[in-house]
Amino acid sequence: MKLHELEKNARKEIEETATSEELEKVRIRYLGRKGKLTEILHSIGNLSKEEKPVVGRVANRLKIELDQLILIRKKNLEESRTLGLEDLSLPGRKPTIGNLHPLTILSEEIINIFISMGFSVVEGPEIETDYYNFTALNTPPEHPARDLHDTFYLKDGRLLRTHTSPVQIRIMEKHSPPLRIISPGRCYRVDTFDPSHSPTFMQIEGLWVDKDVSMADLFGTLKIFARKTFGGDTKVEFLPGYFPFTEPSAELWIQCPFCTGKGCSVCHQGNIEILGCGMVHPNVLKNMGYSEFLGFAFGMGVERIAMIKYNINDIRLFYQNDLQFLKQFNESKL
Amino acid sequence: MKVNYNWLSLWVDINLSPDDLANLLNHLGIEVENIELTSNDAIFTLDITPNRPDLLSIQGISREIAAKTDKNLKKVINYQIPEGARQDKEIELSVTIESVGDCARYVASLIDGIEIGPSPSFISERLEKCGIRSINNVIDITNYVLLEIGQPLHAFDYDRIGNKIIVRRAKNGETIVTLEEEEKVLSNLDLVIADNRKPIAIAGVIGGESSGITEKTKTIVLESAFFKPELIRKTSRRLKLSTESSYRFERKADIGILRTASLYALHLLLKYAKGKSVCSIIDTNTNPELTREVPFSFEKTNRLLGKRVEKEEVNAIFNKLGFRSNGDDTNPKIEIPSYRRDIEIEEDLTEEIGRFIGYDNIPSRFGYSNEHPIIKEERDILPIKRIMTSLGFSEAMNIPFIEPSWVKREGENPIELKNPMWSDKNILRVTLLPGLISNVKRNLNRGEESVALFEVGKVFTREREEEEMVAGILAGNMPINWYESQRPADFYNIKGTIEVLLKELNIGGYQFSECKDPFYITERALSLNLDKSTIGCFGLLCQDICKADIFGFEFNLHKLLSSPKEKIQYLRTYRFPPIKRDLSIVVDEKTPYDRVKNIINSIITHDVKIELIDVYKDPKIGNNKKSLTIRLELYHPAKTLTEEEIKKDMENVIKGLSKLGADLRK
Ligand SMILES: [Zn+2]
Repeated sequence: MKLHELEKNARKEIEETATSEELEKVRIRYLGRKGKLTEILHSIGNLSKEEKPVVGRVANRLKIELDQLILIRKKNLEESRTLGLEDLSLPGRKPTIGNLHPLTILSEEIINIFISMGFSVVEGPEIETDYYNFTALNTPPEHPARDLHDTFYLKDGRLLRTHTSPVQIRIMEKHSPPLRIISPGRCYRVDTFDPSHSPTFMQIEGLWVDKDVSMADLFGTLKIFARKTFGGDTKVEFLPGYFPFTEPSAELWIQCPFCTGKGCSVCHQGNIEILGCGMVHPNVLKNMGYSEFLGFAFGMGVERIAMIKYNINDIRLFYQNDLQFLKQFNESKL
Repeated sequence: MKVNYNWLSLWVDINLSPDDLANLLNHLGIEVENIELTSNDAIFTLDITPNRPDLLSIQGISREIAAKTDKNLKKVINYQIPEGARQDKEIELSVTIESVGDCARYVASLIDGIEIGPSPSFISERLEKCGIRSINNVIDITNYVLLEIGQPLHAFDYDRIGNKIIVRRAKNGETIVTLEEEEKVLSNLDLVIADNRKPIAIAGVIGGESSGITEKTKTIVLESAFFKPELIRKTSRRLKLSTESSYRFERKADIGILRTASLYALHLLLKYAKGKSVCSIIDTNTNPELTREVPFSFEKTNRLLGKRVEKEEVNAIFNKLGFRSNGDDTNPKIEIPSYRRDIEIEEDLTEEIGRFIGYDNIPSRFGYSNEHPIIKEERDILPIKRIMTSLGFSEAMNIPFIEPSWVKREGENPIELKNPMWSDKNILRVTLLPGLISNVKRNLNRGEESVALFEVGKVFTREREEEEMVAGILAGNMPINWYESQRPADFYNIKGTIEVLLKELNIGGYQFSECKDPFYITERALSLNLDKSTIGCFGLLCQDICKADIFGFEFNLHKLLSSPKEKIQYLRTYRFPPIKRDLSIVVDEKTPYDRVKNIINSIITHDVKIELIDVYKDPKIGNNKKSLTIRLELYHPAKTLTEEEIKKDMENVIKGLSKLGADLRK
């Protein structure tokens, strides 16, 4: 067989391959253990003295060249198998992008609303002492309001915070009023893990302390928050509530977006509670060391708001991390 | 708590539909959780806040409705000792309170001639509507009084106890079999009602089986008492026994109503349980403190509400609530009835004013001066989260409880939960990896081909308390598409992720070194070091949860973000294109690419960019050998370099590499 003919055929065949599989077949045909070129290389020993060096050199060079050619073709095939296709409806070459967790997206949105109203963001530890989590917040041991917060205790006697309110106390120990802060973070309460309960949740709490701050300021601030979060025409209402660390206390309710106020399984007679709030209890101000000031505080569960806002019917979805779920959320969509 | 419309109607004229009544209650802060309509009644499920034990009765709810709708209560419970009552000397009873601080008042009544039987239908029906099962006339009457006016009562069979009633702390180890036929072991933290011999009830919580009413009961002792709330709460929680009684006692019952409740029950017993005569009524505290004075300030109320309230308005509200003002014009003292235990300070009164004028009538206001300092706490995890999503990773959040078998690192001790949610997951996570590994398994099982997740969250150890970490995980195939052949994720995917993450965070001067973390397979993992301290590791995870290969990483977020940043400094751009050279060399498979790269870098005298463009192994190039193809781009600030100008560099590179045993392939 003439070497240059073999070279011509091989080059042509390599050039004409359309898939990596075809290319592999061509490689085996020429360079495989029983390939055409391999056989020539093996048979060099049988050639005459004159032919041996010439054929040997040419064949070896050809082998390296074909190797290189196949390598290049392989890359080309992988990169542009479809060059020449004119189907513009093929999907584009997309880099894979992941998604932020819906609780991150919503928390950021809420935090930014409050930042725009002059609040600072502060954080604190998830492991707390009984003092910061309860007693300093006007909930001494055996206070019946402790029932509202079924608590995870650690073996060392401390606990996992049941709300982010301890951060307020800690900040007030370091900074003096006037003060406007929000504290987002993970909280824990003993609860079943079912469609409407979870042993852990994200909370965002706020505190505004000043010489004169009133329920009117509280209502004004939270109405802005509610309208920015749920839409400008949302019906917002404050009802009396109870929290041991606020007096007077209130709850913010909005009209149920699922039934638009007609009443359904999600809401209470057409309304949904969004958050709790109130004027900081004088005992708490005293514990913070600022009896001469007034303040308001509020706290909300991010999961709850996300469930209402995005029509999510099972709180466990936030903690099961199914990609099918996570991929449905992105910052600009929400 | 459940209350029904018809029963409330006996107490106050409502004139509202059930829906409107619910709306009114909601606006008073009495949350209506559910309304159940029956053919001629409506049953409301109410969520009563723990500060308002006075609302745990028909009477209490009626008081609020009456006050809000400006009506008077139609009913007053006020019975006298029934006619025919006698102080019988033959039947004796005495009450001794040994534990004085625990029981401020105890009213015991003795009634005989009882015939146990069914209740009249109005009683059993109302009980059932309010969620209490009808048992017999005596038990039902105690429950009926509890529901209607809120005072828990308990009936003992006089013939099954001695004639002494003793209120005392239990002895350590003392036992009692309850009405629910459960034996409870008590301690001196528990208060009991005892006869001469043994406890006959756990005070305020549940009666004893041996002293309870039976079909044969003829004479009963009726208890109406006030127990220390904290004590009842502790016992109820410790014994995991919550009853209608303990629920009310631990929230503080009304000490003023004990005798009224007893007399009401006696009246009903005489009428509906054939009671013959009341033999004695013992009251250990005939003069309890019934009212309390709380100061009120108009000025403070105006400041708190952000609204000016008028004196007449305020006085009218107090009046409707049964609060009495001493008449002072600016800072009056307000007399609070005994059933409103929640009113203790002036702010509590402010809330009452707010509640009754309606929160709807408080204005909304927003405005602030810029005097408020912005507290700057350095922390910004959002950029790192955004980098991770741009690298194809989605954000996960896991519940931070894990199994102790995940504690693998030497010198690392977990923080244990006293009351874990799941008994096997009884420690706080020491690493984010277990959660993410279980997420991979779940997603692969659900048919995902490709799983890339990250999480930012805290881990907990006794040594270092709380530390925030960022971790990620990669498993399965890389995402499939039409222009590349599919392949599984590998070590270099996770390494590339880390390299881009570090670059995007502007962190330079880091090193990779051998990974000794037990969560990784040493041969397929590296550790990331910054400033001689280890930030964390990445690579193939050592795990037996999931069959698939899982690549992961976990870094200490604080160390990562606080590491010195590369200073951003403009260097230079090259106007002239580089000259490019591809270099194919064969080296021993154990020779790290890093060494090759460093040698080239140290030899080339021009500005150079080095990129690895191909690696392969093949027996044809020799066993234990690998081929590397490296692309060099050589730049000059003022021109494009020529072949001639780089010749020396290239020769030196080849010479230098040959010392590594590298073999140049032309
Ligand atoms: Zn609804």
